[in-house]
Amino acid sequence: MTVARLDQGQRHRPRMAFLKKIEALMMEMQNPDTGIKMQTQRVMITSIPHAVAGNDILQWILQHLQITQEEALHLGDLFVKYGYIYPLQEPKNLTLKTDGSLYRFQTPYFWPVQSWPADDTDYAIYLAKKNIKRKGILEEYEKEHYNMLNQKINYKWDFVIMQAKEQYKAGKERKKADRYALDCQERAYWLVNRTPPGMLDVLEYGLDRVTDPNENKKKTMDVYRREIMYYQQAIMKSRVKSSVSLQGLVKYSEQFLSNDPILSGCLPSNPWVTDDTEFWDLNSKLVEVPTRMRVERWAFNFNELIRDPKGRQNFQVFLKKEFSGENLSFWEACEDLKYGDQSKVKEKAEEIYKLFLAPGARRWINIDGTTMGITVKGLKHPHRYVLDAAQTHIYMLMKKDSYGRYLKSPVYKEMLAKAVVPQETVKKSSPFPFRRRHLRSSPSPIILRQREEEAKAKEAAATVDITQPSHHTSRAPRPAVYAGTNTPPSLPAASPGPPAQPHRAACPRPASEAPGGAQQQPEGAGPGPFPSAGGRSRTAALSFGRFLRRGCRASPVFAALSPRCPAVPHGKVQPLGERERRLRPDAAAVSSFFQIKTDAPLESRIYPIDSEEGEDNRHRACKDSAKEVICPWENPAEEGGAG
Amino acid sequence: MVKEECKALLDALNKVTACYRHMVLTIGGTSDSQNLREELKKTRQKAQELAVANRNKLTTVLKDKTVSKEDKAEFERLWVIFSTCLEILEIDMRRALELGHEFPLNVPKKHLIQTGMSGGTSGVAARAMSVQNMKYEAEHNIDVVDLKDLENEINQVGEMMYEMEMKVNVPQWTVEAKQDPGAELKSTISVGASSIGMISVEENKSFCDISKVLAGIIFSAVLIIAIVLAVCVVKLS
Repeated sequence: MTVARLDQGQRHRPRMAFLKKIEALMMEMQNPDTGIKMQTQRVMITSIPHAVAGNDILQWILQHLQITQEEALHLGDLFVKYGYIYPLQEPKNLTLKTDGSLYRFQTPYFWPVQSWPADDTDYAIYLAKKNIKRKGILEEYEKEHYNMLNQKINYKWDFVIMQAKEQYKAGKERKKADRYALDCQERAYWLVNRTPPGMLDVLEYGLDRVTDPNENKKKTMDVYRREIMYYQQAIMKSRVKSSVSLQGLVKYSEQFLSNDPILSGCLPSNPWVTDDTEFWDLNSKLVEVPTRMRVERWAFNFNELIRDPKGRQNFQVFLKKEFSGENLSFWEACEDLKYGDQSKVKEKAEEIYKLFLAPGARRWINIDGTTMGITVKGLKHPHRYVLDAAQTHIYMLMKKDSYGRYLKSPVYKEMLAKAVVPQETVKKSSPFPFRRRHLRSSPSPIILRQREEEAKAKEAAATVDITQPSHHTSRAPRPAVYAGTNTPPSLPAASPGPPAQPHRAACPRPASEAPGGAQQQPEGAGPGPFPSAGGRSRTAALSFGRFLRRGCRASPVFAALSPRCPAVPHGKVQPLGERERRLRPDAAAVSSFFQIKTDAPLESRIYPIDSEEGEDNRHRACKDSAKEVICPWENPAEEGGAG
Repeated sequence: MVKEECKALLDALNKVTACYRHMVLTIGGTSDSQNLREELKKTRQKAQELAVANRNKLTTVLKDKTVSKEDKAEFERLWVIFSTCLEILEIDMRRALELGHEFPLNVPKKHLIQTGMSGGTSGVAARAMSVQNMKYEAEHNIDVVDLKDLENEINQVGEMMYEMEMKVNVPQWTVEAKQDPGAELKSTISVGASSIGMISVEENKSFCDISKVLAGIIFSAVLIIAIVLAVCVVKLS
């Protein structure tokens, strides 16, 4: 029966201090000596006293308050709008006219009150009375209200009708002129409190408030204690000098002035003016060739770059060349966690951990020990913002380190050169101004999202070729499954559960695939750096090839690791936890060969997230200090030995 | 019959509430006076007596287990009407208290709002009290003195309403109105050759009628002249 509403205790009308002030002025206007002079209104045969001309009101306000003409007019207008004065000749037009049009003062009962709003029951009674008087002729909106109220307060309806009849009868006991004036008053009251459609509702105040402004709180110890706490915290708030903040504003405005389509115009043309949507097409999220303005904007600051999807794409290309693509991927994954489907928070957080944060993860990101500690602890109870600390760290890393180099890089310069400067279109003045415009609606968001997913999947499939050539055959049909997250290509390998199983099954038999894979691998500049699970399936042949390409890498690593392979179980479907355990045997050997450039000891870095990984006897560190990343566990030797 | 008695009592309370509303409307306006304040006081007291009587009667009936189902539904409907009436009365009383504080009558500095009223409310009060003429016997500072009583009475009414809600378990929304929307039009009052219709608020309407009549007269006059001329022409030719 009652509608369930999210009640946060907001039940009180806000302060309306202006009401008392207006009332004081109203009462001063009545002064026979210094108030406004009255006229008489003639209606048919009767004359009703106490009418005021609009001009007189204005003059009185000007003299009494000593303000400018404009202000006085506005103030007088507000008096009429709030219902303290109502017009006699044009009842619906609640404005103050400064000619001789007549107004009258509203009776105090009908003045707006802070404590309570105009009641629905009263309105129903008024409408019923009006019905009786006018024999059923109501305005359209009044009829609607009538029907709506009849449904809403149906249980009171008998009372409403009884009361309406009684009030009507009681009204007859008064003299005719008074009855007319009463009518006008009531009508004016309801015009203010239940505005007809199209009229401004001045009394609207938004939402109800939580605290009651009329409450007189006794000043107890508790109240004082809270006040003191509040003020102490207010003092401790950090403040920015206005000169500094204003300077920041000025700088921002100057920098972005040329990009603002309203202030500086936009090329090719403003779609709202010329009905030409080319501007939107040219600036769509992942357009092939972005506009020059957009690309230049990426150079303003790092936030601009990272908030623009095309900018991110370009930046990712650059980062891949520098072998720190996982930073941006991690950042994107965190964004997805924050703003994506919250029902999947736990899974997403786990995936991200396994892909980016776990010791020996395929795309391990380099964050310091404390942050890693906080994050892992938080992951026990994952929520939206659990990866915030790590995300900020990575963001600052990218901003301080990679961003500078990006702006000087050939990737960016190429994009800048490719960027297009659209021609300005001339507004076609149509010879037929009333010609029906051909309106095209933009594609539905659902379709747009599907397209985005497909594009991402395609990209995922495409990039897989470069980094994990041996998985080209096994990986390609799968990308469509992972539409939920937007982590780039290497993700398919890291997802838990059944999709991983055929992948696992493929691992132990790399011998058949690898030769094919090796040929397929189009080698770009530099070794493929990504620590991906695909490494497991690399054959010895492939590793040798890679070894040659890598040049300065220590080959004994591979040789040393190969004897370990028999310990690795193959040909079984393994849960992901197993994979962790499998990877760990590598670490102990690796650490002795690599100079680990971190200050924190190995042991401090690894924090297993759940109890199944309790046996963390094998620690492993993969350092990734922004550039050269060779994570030793992704060597193929072990597979080769086992297969 | 119990039902008729209850209905009669409720009608009386309804009438007094309506009259009280009319009187509270005039507080602070030009037809405000000591008499008005006295009328308010008397009406209020009568309303309270009626309310108490109503409550007692209805509670005894509702507590009675021997009433039939339809009767019970009918009494519940009356109960809802009664409680709504009491709510309206309470609101009006609070408003009267506020306005009474704002507009004391004997202070020369405070002027009454010139609302265009010139007549008094004695007729309304007489209707409320069901007497022919009102007799005024209060002192000249009743407007201030009365406010204390008014406060007490508001508290009393508030308490009564609270008690009612606690003791009688009639959920309001289960009551269905007997009258359809628009029922007020079918009653005898609606035949409105009331004098209000004469001073119709939309004066354009009456003007329209006059202009229509005028147009009709002119047209018929022109027609007659045309016919006369035609006859003359025919006769002369």
